[in-house]
Amino acid sequence: MQLTAIVLLTACIQVSASSLYAQRISISGKNIPLKKVFNEIREQTGYNFIYTNEDLKQASSVTLHQKDASLNDILEACFDNQPLAYSIYKNIIIVKLKEQTPAAPLMIRQMDISGRVVDSVTGNGLAGVTIQVQESTIGTTTGPDGRFSLSAPDNAVLIVSYLGYQTKTVLATGSSLQIALTPTTTGLNQLVVVGYGTQKKGDLTGAITTISSEQYQTQPVTRLDQVLQGRAAGVEVTNATGAPGGDVRIRIRGANSVLGNNDPLYVVDGFVGADFSTINPNNIASIQILKDASSTAIYGSRGANGVVIITTKKGQKGAIHVNYSGKVSGSRVLRTYDLLSAGEFAELVNTRNAILGLNPTYTEDQINDFKQNGGTDWQKEVFRDALGHEHELSVSGGGDKTTYFISGDYLSQEGTIEASDYKRYSLRSNISTQITDKLSFNLNVSVNSQTNRNTQLQSGTSNPAVQALVWAPTTPIYQPNGDYVLVDPVGSLKTNPVALLYDRNNLVTRTYENITGNVRYEFIDGLALEVTYVVNHLNQNGKSFNGTTVTNGNPSASQSSLEALTLQETNTLSYKHTFGGDHTIDAVAVLETQQYQDHYFDATGTGLLIPALGYSNLGLSASPAVSSGPTPWRLLSMLGRVNYSYKDKYLITASIRRDGSSKFHGSNRYSTFPALALGWNLTQENFIKDINVFSHLKLRASWGKTGSQAIQPFATQSTYNTTIYAFNNSNLTSGILLGNPGNPNLKWETTDQKDIGLEVGILNGRLNLDADYYVKHTTDLLLNAPLPGYVGGGSYASNVGEIENKGWDLSIGGEIIDQAHFTWSSHFNISNVQNRVVSIGKDIGDRIFTGSNVGAGTSTQSEFVIQPGYALGAYWGLKYLGTWKPDEEKEAAKYHNVPGDSRYEDVNGDFAINAEDYQIIGNGMPKTSMGWNNTFTYKAFTLNFFFQGIMGVDKMNYSLASMMSGSGDGRQITLAMIRNRYIPGKNETSNIPAFSRSNVVYPQSSRFLENGNFIRLKNVSVAYDIPLTVFRRKADLKVFLAGSNLWTITKYDGIDPEASNIGSGTDINQSIDYGAYPNSKTITFGLNFGF
Amino acid sequence: MARTLIPRPSLSASTLVSNTLKFKIMKTIKLIALAAILMLGAGCKGYLDEDLSGKVVGNAALGTQAGLEAALTGAYKGLGNTWATGFFHGTATGATMGGDDITTLVGSNKQEFREFDQFAVSAGNSRTSNLYFGCYKSIQGANNVIANYTNTKGDQQTINTIAGEAYFLRAFSYYWLTRLYGSIPMITTAEFSKDQLTIGLTKPADVYALIESDLGQAIQLLPDAKRDYGRPNKGSALSFLADVYLTEGGWPIQDASKYALAASTAKQVIDDHSKYGFEFLPTYAQIFENDPTQNGTAEDIFDITANMANGSTTEANYGWAAMPGDMGGWDDYFSELNFFKNFPPGPRKDVTFRLTYTMADGTVKTWEQLTSKHPYYGKFWIKGDVANWASSLPLVMMRYTHVLLIYAEAKARSGGPDADAYTYLNMVRQRGGESPLTQGSLSATQFADSVVQERAWEFAGERTRWFDLVRLQLVEKANANKNPGDLQPIGAITKSDYTFPLPISETSANPNLNP
Repeated sequence: MQLTAIVLLTACIQVSASSLYAQRISISGKNIPLKKVFNEIREQTGYNFIYTNEDLKQASSVTLHQKDASLNDILEACFDNQPLAYSIYKNIIIVKLKEQTPAAPLMIRQMDISGRVVDSVTGNGLAGVTIQVQESTIGTTTGPDGRFSLSAPDNAVLIVSYLGYQTKTVLATGSSLQIALTPTTTGLNQLVVVGYGTQKKGDLTGAITTISSEQYQTQPVTRLDQVLQGRAAGVEVTNATGAPGGDVRIRIRGANSVLGNNDPLYVVDGFVGADFSTINPNNIASIQILKDASSTAIYGSRGANGVVIITTKKGQKGAIHVNYSGKVSGSRVLRTYDLLSAGEFAELVNTRNAILGLNPTYTEDQINDFKQNGGTDWQKEVFRDALGHEHELSVSGGGDKTTYFISGDYLSQEGTIEASDYKRYSLRSNISTQITDKLSFNLNVSVNSQTNRNTQLQSGTSNPAVQALVWAPTTPIYQPNGDYVLVDPVGSLKTNPVALLYDRNNLVTRTYENITGNVRYEFIDGLALEVTYVVNHLNQNGKSFNGTTVTNGNPSASQSSLEALTLQETNTLSYKHTFGGDHTIDAVAVLETQQYQDHYFDATGTGLLIPALGYSNLGLSASPAVSSGPTPWRLLSMLGRVNYSYKDKYLITASIRRDGSSKFHGSNRYSTFPALALGWNLTQENFIKDINVFSHLKLRASWGKTGSQAIQPFATQSTYNTTIYAFNNSNLTSGILLGNPGNPNLKWETTDQKDIGLEVGILNGRLNLDADYYVKHTTDLLLNAPLPGYVGGGSYASNVGEIENKGWDLSIGGEIIDQAHFTWSSHFNISNVQNRVVSIGKDIGDRIFTGSNVGAGTSTQSEFVIQPGYALGAYWGLKYLGTWKPDEEKEAAKYHNVPGDSRYEDVNGDFAINAEDYQIIGNGMPKTSMGWNNTFTYKAFTLNFFFQGIMGVDKMNYSLASMMSGSGDGRQITLAMIRNRYIPGKNETSNIPAFSRSNVVYPQSSRFLENGNFIRLKNVSVAYDIPLTVFRRKADLKVFLAGSNLWTITKYDGIDPEASNIGSGTDINQSIDYGAYPNSKTITFGLNFGF
Repeated sequence: MARTLIPRPSLSASTLVSNTLKFKIMKTIKLIALAAILMLGAGCKGYLDEDLSGKVVGNAALGTQAGLEAALTGAYKGLGNTWATGFFHGTATGATMGGDDITTLVGSNKQEFREFDQFAVSAGNSRTSNLYFGCYKSIQGANNVIANYTNTKGDQQTINTIAGEAYFLRAFSYYWLTRLYGSIPMITTAEFSKDQLTIGLTKPADVYALIESDLGQAIQLLPDAKRDYGRPNKGSALSFLADVYLTEGGWPIQDASKYALAASTAKQVIDDHSKYGFEFLPTYAQIFENDPTQNGTAEDIFDITANMANGSTTEANYGWAAMPGDMGGWDDYFSELNFFKNFPPGPRKDVTFRLTYTMADGTVKTWEQLTSKHPYYGKFWIKGDVANWASSLPLVMMRYTHVLLIYAEAKARSGGPDADAYTYLNMVRQRGGESPLTQGSLSATQFADSVVQERAWEFAGERTRWFDLVRLQLVEKANANKNPGDLQPIGAITKSDYTFPLPISETSANPNLNP
């Protein structure tokens, strides 16, 4: 028993070496001709040989028994006792007759060069890397920790090459070189992590995009979304909020679901359904984005939105490597609105009052005083320059059997809106142990705690960024006694923006603890069982306080707590074997369960007796209230996949998954998700080889089905909601209200996706192109049909709709200039998706309205509609036709309007503008997203330009509406743009309506709908590498200076075309900007120090 | 110099475990893996059953008295859900702006209010839909109580009271709905079924039949005393029935026989008013003290009660909604100019209107000096002129004075005014500062007209005038000569302006609801 306990303990702290490590070669046979060996090596590694047949004739056949040997070992064995010698240049092995003459006398000064070769992703030393002095036979290989030393002529060019990595040329200057090799993204042998396994890149049949850390190395990324943004075709990332740690919308190939979340599924080290915000980009070894159904169907009921697989770094064998990276940043809001000065505002209010028949609001004296002394600049009060810093320290290394990677990170960022900030602490420990050849363990433990303060998405009425736009500049912040001014007598009806900043506090702390343990046992060569167990615990704690000013004298506070535990068990049996040299089979069978248990508990105190206590003593309130409840679910899955390849030429992948979910009932509980993909590796065909143009050419086609649960637990049940009513002024009584009627017949949404893809590599892999075209059909779409008010309102969920997404992804990139001192690599990607609602079923009617509630105080109707023939996120509103012009007086009169009034399209021609005239006026769902990443290196300098853009989207600018309409909760016009309004007799061409009694402003009209396209210089950075020696060890110091969002090209009138009030939870109501938290311009200084 | 290839040195491995131990580890791991798979297999049965703990599901919840009570509480909620549904913000006041007693600001955020005042109500107007959804939410809850109370176990008297309140709520809600919209969809069952989504409109006559029947049930089931301030008693049900009969006497039902019923029903309340706790307060000022620490007054027949300790149970009709923007108020509603000018002077006028307004800097303005140039309803200011929109004041849906005047008018229209009719009308006139009418001095029609006029003054701004104008078909006349300083009707007023279009979301969800 005791022994078992010890064994278990040992099992818990060990984990396995990464198979991502460079590939090994296996060749066995007696008397194999060298030519055949070379062919085999080329097949297995992608290295090419150059020789003459004359030379080769002089060589003898070799007998080899090499298994998983390094290239060097094999070559050494081949050339032992041969009259031949070889040298390696890039991925070419040059074979020549041994030179009989001694080495040329030293004509130039020799110098000692030493350094270290590391993996650019992991930063770990690479052992066995070949370093060759260009145009010479001088060379060496690196030692176990990646270190090397050799003598070479001054200013020699070193060619550094290693299997599975891009060959790099380095100028041999100085005595200490730090050389980072990038894993070949195009390397056919590079292993790519796919769902429940790995595959050689060359054997892939699905549409999978890989992002390597080199693509963002010198850019200030602090979160995964910043890594994904603009760097992968088919992935659209929108920073809905510029708040640090704020919500972000990430979509892979469009949105399939109306009810469900369209966020991709994140799989981190095998844990399915991770929260992307918990991943520290510094800890990422690789990111794979699975886009087509043949890749995602293996995730069955959760794969419909694409899958992002993240593998975290592991330690490498060798000496301890310590790395510190730090960043300090300063941010400023992109821009602010041009608002009227207090004096001009007061004049305009009086001018407008006179036209409306109202008394003047300001006296002449007051106006003169405002002109002289100014008023309140509310935007200045709300926005600030914000600081941020991040520190990460990692230690990694390992012995022969065990490797470890430990990383700690602290991030603190202020928001550009006062009183908002974000803090994140994370710690990760990844330990791997190879106990025997057959048995290995992994244990990844990560703890992540993040606190968001006042960064939540806010709707207009209580948003300081909105109130700053509509509070009159003539109203002071404070009363003479120092209290906040409670009401704005002229402008906004809502709360003082400065009070909204400081008389309120909203903190959310989420602490995740994730333990992923994994044991793998290889029974026989190729047959392995892997058992993974994940414990993921989340504690979410919310605290909020609303003080006396912001509640009009009824201060309240609340605390909420959510404890959630996710348990996952994955049992994977995999088998890989090559039959007869040509037929390779790679099969996997998995049994997986996942269960989610949670319990929330909220407590609210209203009428706080001592508001100064904030949220700390809720009981001390006039009216404490509590609520609680669980929302558990479970998932049971079985899946299998077979990859078959014939001579690496013809590839087939077939997979099937069967999922059962507790959210569904009866025969709808289980569903099956099949997929099939074919690949044709044209590079292996002689007729392509003969052209000698393509280093890689592959055609892929796939089909598959994925699903989405899309509903919350209990949706099949008719449940009651809890409510509160007051039968007198001193007590509250709890009651129950009928909730939405349940539909026991609910089932999965199913997305059927077809994809064809083409991969092209030319110029020996220097230039690569990936293109995919796809069509996704989501059927049995779950829709919440809104129920009419007369049956109690709410909604009824049923599987009635159909949505189509079709589009293409294109990425093209390569090493445009690749010289010793100067390189330029450029990667461009663009993707386009056409989203279209095909059907919403027969029972619902023509369309479904979905309100965002964002427009409260501005608009009164649902801004969005789901209607067949249009994309999700179609705007519903009046079509604005500009102002009535002087020659249209008669026509205007029919609408009780005069020239200068707003003119709207009268759809039904009844000479009245009302609800019947609303129509679809735009699209809130972006169609196109692009990214262009350029990296230049010159000696030790690295320069990066990264552009990112989103196109094909309209934005509803409610901020503009609230400042320009003079109706709504804003009441007065505050924007300087009003100077250009229609003024009878003076300016009669303007489409900004005149001040008029008969003018009606409908904020929900195309007048405030703007083109939201933008292209942004997301990053420009310059980095410099400084080699150092620390503790007699070679060290690397890299410093960089980066600017984010420095330049934006857009026609949008708002502060930020990217910002929106709607978070990632829905795709129907997106792209509304009503004081959305804008993104900022940021300057970051970073430092990376490793030894 | 010859090329030097350094062989990869084998690392001096520090193996933690011996070979024997390795074997044991392997064995253990195999066992763990096997056990894991077996455990999973064993756990499969029932593994996917949904765990419903924490949820209230199905009708069984209403099997207990406490459950039934909770469902009744929920039924009230539709009527008072601040900023969401029901009456707790300016929706009901807005919907009655077609009356000549009340109007709104020409600019600012009052477009939806102006639609009512100018007889151009859009199907998209959210003010009506707030009332609409609130009333139907209450009806849904009431239907559920009515459908289940006979199976509830507990104290029979309490269960009957609960059912009585539910019948009252359903009648109250349908009464408001049919007066606002005319023909409406009518649902009396609790259980949702898909065929409800295609039903057509029910004519007002059939809706009134249900209202009468429900109030009859409520009268049977309710006790004489209110269980709480915010609940009805038998007297409340009788008072509403009297009001319903009075309305049925006019447009659109126009069943004159209902006037006699209105009179006799009102009389029952008047005769037993002490039993029901209803009082005619001696001064008008006492009715509108608007002291949030008090639970209404003894004049209240039925209140939608509020408690600002909770955001969704907060009253928002008093305070800022009724105060001028110059003081930080919202300008939501104030008096029409002619109404104010014609209002008979006296203590009632003094309480009804505010004539001077103290600004933040201490200066005092008259109503003519206010930005809006209109007098404001002081009767809707919170005691102490509290500058706030939120209060715990109840929204009074009917006062005992209503019952007195229902009797007076109904009696005049069913056989002519008797001595009681004169007495009740004079009680109201005298409290308001007008001279009493001499018994028998007016013809029946004149008397009825003077009651209607009295109701306008007495209930100014209290969501009464509009319905009086509608049932007596006086809307056109009352809006004929508006003061030029007030908003004017857009286009001619017709009978189609007497009711509002159903919310557009309703007709688009169920096209059968199109008239």
